Amino acid sequence: MNLPAWWTTDPCAAFQLGPRTFPGRIWTASGCFAYGLTAHDIASPDLPTPYVGLGAVVTKTVTPEPRSGNPMPRLAELPTGAINSIGLENVGFDAFLAETLPALEARGVPNVVSLAATTPEHFGPMVEKLTARASGFAHWHGVELNLSCPNVAEGGHDFGSTPEAVARCVAAARPHLTDRALLVKLTPNTGRISDLARAAADAGCDAVSAINTVVGLEVDLTTGRPVLPRRYGGYSGPGILPIALAKVDEIVQKAGVPVVGVGGIGSAEDALRFFALGAVAVQVGTSQMKDPFNAARVARDLRPEV
Amino acid sequence: MTRLNVPTPPTLSCGGRVLSNTAVSTGLIRLDLELEMPAYFAPGQFAMLNTAGPADLVFSRPFSILAVDGAVMSFLYRVVGRGTRAFADLVPGSGMRFLGPLGTPFPVPQTDRPAVLIGGGVGLPPVANWYAVHGRPGDVACFGGRDGGDVPWGLLDDRWLISVDDPRDLPDDRTAFHGRVTEMAAAADSLAGDTPRTVMACGPVPLLKAAWTLARQRGWDCFLSLEEHMGCGYGACKGCVVPVLAPADREGWRNATCCQEGPVFRAEDIAWERYGVSPLETTT
Repeated sequence: MNLPAWWTTDPCAAFQLGPRTFPGRIWTASGCFAYGLTAHDIASPDLPTPYVGLGAVVTKTVTPEPRSGNPMPRLAELPTGAINSIGLENVGFDAFLAETLPALEARGVPNVVSLAATTPEHFGPMVEKLTARASGFAHWHGVELNLSCPNVAEGGHDFGSTPEAVARCVAAARPHLTDRALLVKLTPNTGRISDLARAAADAGCDAVSAINTVVGLEVDLTTGRPVLPRRYGGYSGPGILPIALAKVDEIVQKAGVPVVGVGGIGSAEDALRFFALGAVAVQVGTSQMKDPFNAARVARDLRPEV
Repeated sequence: MTRLNVPTPPTLSCGGRVLSNTAVSTGLIRLDLELEMPAYFAPGQFAMLNTAGPADLVFSRPFSILAVDGAVMSFLYRVVGRGTRAFADLVPGSGMRFLGPLGTPFPVPQTDRPAVLIGGGVGLPPVANWYAVHGRPGDVACFGGRDGGDVPWGLLDDRWLISVDDPRDLPDDRTAFHGRVTEMAAAADSLAGDTPRTVMACGPVPLLKAAWTLARQRGWDCFLSLEEHMGCGYGACKGCVVPVLAPADREGWRNATCCQEGPVFRAEDIAWERYGVSPLETTT
């Protein structure tokens, strides 16, 4: 493809984010590529693996206890995106640390561990144990705090809505993570995302990921009721790209903290929109679901022509 | 739950072109897709298909694989929603995207157990392919359709036992049992007696439950191909889970991905009291 003249970056070259050197700027988003152990054996005519050129896989969000997630149906596909209500199904922190993370290291998958919890105070012990176990791992590059998943019904999960709560979560995690990047994934479902970003930065995070999903709802016309058992879910995909760009721009212009852009990226051109606004890296999410090679193609297509 | 141990060919992500896309019954359409390269699959596996280009669907759609001939892979589908409606409009030469084969297939034949294959409606491909690839003289293949027009007669030779819920529109030269396919199987002379058998079934949930009931009554093994709405189809999103028994787990059950651990499950592994019916007839 013809790259614009202003784009002179090699997205597959190492770059610094906080205290950590990442292998590249094209990542996959949490929840869209499992833990980074799926799809290694899928082949294609034009790329050797779905992981080639990726800077990081952000893992499926891990919680202190295993979670079986929400009842089916968990997805509502629309012409413009999809609404998901997976419910943070995950193996739980202990199993992740004992089995999943070592497997990622053994396979050489660059990764950022996504964590969620019911109270800010839970983040400290999890990050402490992570560091104790994995500080010698070459491929573990950071932690992304998921403060904004709209699919969990318990009260007290809406950390992402106030700067104070965001700051508490970052403050709980930061002391235990000194040589890895600490990111916070921000919700767009609130008025002033730049305030959240500023609070996260002031509390010590290295970057923010923006945006998480937008609260959405789909109606089943046969029944007249919402499709998803919990009524609402997280809307992602092409339809949220302009929303994500607006939020990323607000953070870059007003909060002055590094941004990893995410929301609706399906192509190299979509990724370029985020880079144009000042994002330092991007995550590819929903579009991975229709093709495991999508992120790798974005990375390949953004490389300078040799 | 013990994972079924059946060797599977590598999964491929590639493009394809529609060779033909035509009705084989009043409700079923056969899609023949010529892939960029030859692909392989084991009976019971499926593929995720999408249209190609800027108007593609956000999620690919899961289609059971009917047959493969070199690089040409064949599927059967019904129009049940926006995605399948888009597929039905594809003309020969249209580009598509393919990801497959995916999923856990049916087991290989057991020498001491003849097979009982039960397919209902759009559930035909996995059992038809198993029968075509593995079928032996003692195996019995059963198909159930809604009425005579709904049966894809051209795909079912004289060995098949065929049932229809409604006997109208039967072709002059074919006969069909009037009733449910599992009722037909229960009454079939060829399935009488004490011979242990293996049931492999694919179709709507009531058919699967009836096949499991029949198998339990007769002491037969039973493998069911389940169907769920899917997101990715390859294990990345957890959008397609089925509850299975897990005695070692805290609550005695856990979620299994229909796309990876399934779609074929041993019937006795399914946590039936938790397994609901996906509203697949509303949007696919």
